[in-house]
Amino acid sequence: MISHHPGEEEQSAMSLTRRTFLKGTGTLAGAACVGVPLPVLAEAAASASAKAAGDKGVKYVNTTCVHCVNFCGQRIKMEDGVIRVVYPNPDIAEYYNHGICPKGGAGPFNTYNPYRIKAPLKRTNPKKGPHEDPGWKEISWEEAFTEIADKLKKIKADNPSKLVWHHGHGKYLMGDQFPKAWCAAFGTPNVVHRTTTCEAARHVADELTWGYHAFLPDVEHSNLLINFGANYFEAEQWARWLDHAVTDARARGMKVVSVEPRLSNAGAKADQWVPIRPGTDVVMLLAMARVLMHDGLIDEEFLTNYTNAPHLVAKDGAVLTDDKGEPLVWDAVSNSAKPFTEGVTPTLAGSFTVNGKPAATAYQVLHDSLTDVTPEYAEKVTGVPAETIQSLAREFGKQAMIGSTVVIDGRKIRYRPAVIHSFRGLAAKEYGVQNWRAALIVMMLVGAPDAVGGLGLHDVYKNPDNFKPSKCEYPPKRADLQKSVYFPHSHHNVCQQVALTLLDPKAYGLPYEPEMQIFYATNRAFSTADALKQFAGYAKTYNVVIDLVLTETAGMADIVLPDLSYLECWHFAPTRWTPNSKHTAIRQPLVNAYNIPYDTWAVMWELAKRVGFQKEYVEGMNKEWKNKKVMFDPTKDYTAKEAVAVLWEDATEKPLDYAIEHGFKGKHVDTDHRYLEGVEKQFKGPGKPKMKLYADQLVGSYETIAKTVKEKKIKNLDLAYYKTALSPIPIKEHAEPTARKGVKDYPIYLMTYKRMYRNQAGNTALNPILNALGDTDENFVLINPVLAKQIGVGDGEEVRIETRAGKAQGKARITEGIRPDVVAVSYSYGHISPGFPDYAKKGIWINQALELHPDVISGMNSFNDTKCTVVKA
Amino acid sequence: MAKFVRVIDTERCMGCRSCLSACYMENHLTPDSPWNVMMEWETGSYPNVGRSFVTMNCMHCEHPPCKLACDAIGVKAISKNEFGVVLIDYDKCIGCQYCQAVCPYGVPQYNAKLKNLYPGQDKTPPELIAAEARHPTHRKKVKTVEKCTFCWHKLEKAVAKGETNLIGKVPEYTPSCDLVCPVGARVFGDIEDPTSKVAQWVGTGKATQLKKEFGTRPQVFYKLTGGDY
Repeated sequence: MISHHPGEEEQSAMSLTRRTFLKGTGTLAGAACVGVPLPVLAEAAASASAKAAGDKGVKYVNTTCVHCVNFCGQRIKMEDGVIRVVYPNPDIAEYYNHGICPKGGAGPFNTYNPYRIKAPLKRTNPKKGPHEDPGWKEISWEEAFTEIADKLKKIKADNPSKLVWHHGHGKYLMGDQFPKAWCAAFGTPNVVHRTTTCEAARHVADELTWGYHAFLPDVEHSNLLINFGANYFEAEQWARWLDHAVTDARARGMKVVSVEPRLSNAGAKADQWVPIRPGTDVVMLLAMARVLMHDGLIDEEFLTNYTNAPHLVAKDGAVLTDDKGEPLVWDAVSNSAKPFTEGVTPTLAGSFTVNGKPAATAYQVLHDSLTDVTPEYAEKVTGVPAETIQSLAREFGKQAMIGSTVVIDGRKIRYRPAVIHSFRGLAAKEYGVQNWRAALIVMMLVGAPDAVGGLGLHDVYKNPDNFKPSKCEYPPKRADLQKSVYFPHSHHNVCQQVALTLLDPKAYGLPYEPEMQIFYATNRAFSTADALKQFAGYAKTYNVVIDLVLTETAGMADIVLPDLSYLECWHFAPTRWTPNSKHTAIRQPLVNAYNIPYDTWAVMWELAKRVGFQKEYVEGMNKEWKNKKVMFDPTKDYTAKEAVAVLWEDATEKPLDYAIEHGFKGKHVDTDHRYLEGVEKQFKGPGKPKMKLYADQLVGSYETIAKTVKEKKIKNLDLAYYKTALSPIPIKEHAEPTARKGVKDYPIYLMTYKRMYRNQAGNTALNPILNALGDTDENFVLINPVLAKQIGVGDGEEVRIETRAGKAQGKARITEGIRPDVVAVSYSYGHISPGFPDYAKKGIWINQALELHPDVISGMNSFNDTKCTVVKA
Repeated sequence: MAKFVRVIDTERCMGCRSCLSACYMENHLTPDSPWNVMMEWETGSYPNVGRSFVTMNCMHCEHPPCKLACDAIGVKAISKNEFGVVLIDYDKCIGCQYCQAVCPYGVPQYNAKLKNLYPGQDKTPPELIAAEARHPTHRKKVKTVEKCTFCWHKLEKAVAKGETNLIGKVPEYTPSCDLVCPVGARVFGDIEDPTSKVAQWVGTGKATQLKKEFGTRPQVFYKLTGGDY
């Protein structure tokens, strides 16, 4: 059963009758008079008159949520054209989510929200800052388009790189392929996504290690899951699959150990909580690696045949190669250094002389580097008892059942039912890449990658360039310094850097000064670490913000444009795969609650037309989306629905009507694809590239950085620091983030986390249902009773947190579920925007108090390294 | 005759509160009068700490004290139907709150005021749905008591169509709180149907009832994680 809007059949403006056209509201009629494209108005007019056109009764619409990046399949009940209740789509259960979360359930009030931006707004107060009232005045769409297009034309003629496009949520609404095509057609390289406020470091650790990113623990078959700070019951990507998969696995007998400073909801459902000092996980993992190596609980066959553990490393850290560039191993047969080809038996451990110079295998280098990283040493650093570290490592080694296999669908597959999982717990740190690399190394030691019950890797070795050193570009082309000498392996943009570059572009060698920024569905300024600097940077440019509500970032705009919500738009929706399935999905409009005539699709279309790059934009769409059969036609005008139809038909070979009826199309993945196309196919055996236990490309990147700094006389890059940061293997120094150095006066660790009831985009703060779930309209300073007693504070009393970056104040919540030397404050609360009512501003804005020391390998924001004082306010 | 019960597995419950959100949406939440609440607490002390998540709607007791009190004063606004569902008739309710006083579970919610969802703002389209277009249990009336109905407005349709055997088995005949749970922690159905999940969970899942000492005989069962120190 689907909701049918008669007007939407009319793809061509020419067939739109005059009567239907004039039936729209005053806004639409006014917009029509000044040349707004008719196909856009056709959709809006049809939606506006939906009630009259016959939406009586109850209808169910299948669509895709986007409150977070799970993209749950939903079935939404409409009553007489009003969105009433959101249910899970029962048909998606075999492919992804079994239920939905409260954000998805409360989704109708993301749309029905009187605080939504309903018309374009222009700033009258020239001063820009987090506490400034912009002095909005409503302007017409024509005025908005004219002003924005004029600015764009000037910049395009001068230097199109001076435009920076930001999105966060926006990528998950329409897909980042459209902004990428739009910006490429305009001529700017500056398209910036939010991944460095999310989990970029984890991705980059994956990429450096196995040539692409993303994975899922094979919990269906695991017997032991060690979770380093992932919170799949309150937050995180893939949570709506992990939640039921982990719950079922626990019911089957899988043991879960939760290593985190605060007992999260995921930790609450674990068998063991290991309260670790924030930011020290790398040392615990290295100590575990040492236990495994010393106890012989290692998968020699895996290490030798699938990884670069046998590669010979010289004293300077570089891997030895032959004159063709092939890495050398020590061949046990010929007792000489050779590439690993047929007939060669690589030696896993040992030190050798090669061409008169000393060399050791990468495995040996790792082994020797851990001499001092004993469980006892790790206890001092991490606060976790040595006995716990030792027994956990031994249990992990034992549960991995090294050497065993299992038969599934007639295939004999390696069986290692022990796995480590993490999300921001390891990644959102100054040494985020090294942290997750340490976990990958522990798993490589027991052979868990792509084994049944181990860690299922996605699209292994899809990008072989990840195994090469970075070009360490200088001068940088992009305002976010992506893949530059500053952030050599920042493959996922460096979103927080743009503002900092704006404050002093010459310091980074940027050959231009950005003048204009467009922000699509992101509350960037509010959501990073050391947030006040973000506002300072954004004050320097002419800004356009497209969003649902007046967030703090919108407060920095010169022009704000309304957006349509995900329940009002046509999108080709992103989706999440699972170990045994994938699916393709759309979003379709249910209403147009405030009769807004443009969604972001139409805005981008109109601007591309006015500035004169529409044709190149459409050509770029084919390039970015990689369509195979159904292509975008550069001579055609497209509505969002038509664009979605192209993408849907190309991906599924089914008509759009199928998507309108079902919302998605899924398929199951076979055993070969699930277990045998990853490391088995890409890395196993002689003559193949190898998974990197030892990230030798970082050695090459550092060499290039050192050379570049010297040649270009770069003043603001500390080579000694970069040498440590770019170590090819994680080392104990990676548990000593900059925020911990010289902070004697700040004795307490400050960590952050995410609650279920808020997302980064900001509009959830206004949702009356999400705020009514019990203490969900504000957040608290979680504090252990021992610390609370020390500072004389009771439950609910005000405490003040001070760091070197800033201050924050809020209500204490006393809990036994946190280390006594740590306080925790969740984010996405404490809004300050003048565009929000008071009830949506409750709680603490912690981001302004977080020090920012990015992971220089990946560009990742650090969120959990800061130290603070905590006093009764 | 069927007897409808709910079983909540607090070992599976991850504390997300989606069941609260679903109830509030399905049943036109009256702000400050929730029909479903989450109770969270901790056990033990650092570092030996547990956390419990327990949700509670109405127990739809076999011996409902709320009905007892309401009958005793002659108001008779509370009924218990053939399937065990306890319902309040807002037109008969005089707002005396005796039911609220005698319920051991704190279930009945007295709405002193009917507020809009967005304080100080107009009603949204869902709030504007006229009383005539709503099920009687959704025609909220100020100064009356309201509570969970086991989504009777959904179950009633199954009864009308002679499809009571599908209650708790298909989405349109399942209370929305039980329907949305991402981890399958809640089941609803006929305890007299041996193939139903509720019969299995109650019979072999070590389920219990809360506050048994009051003799209410709830039709909501819990698999508790145990431990309360």
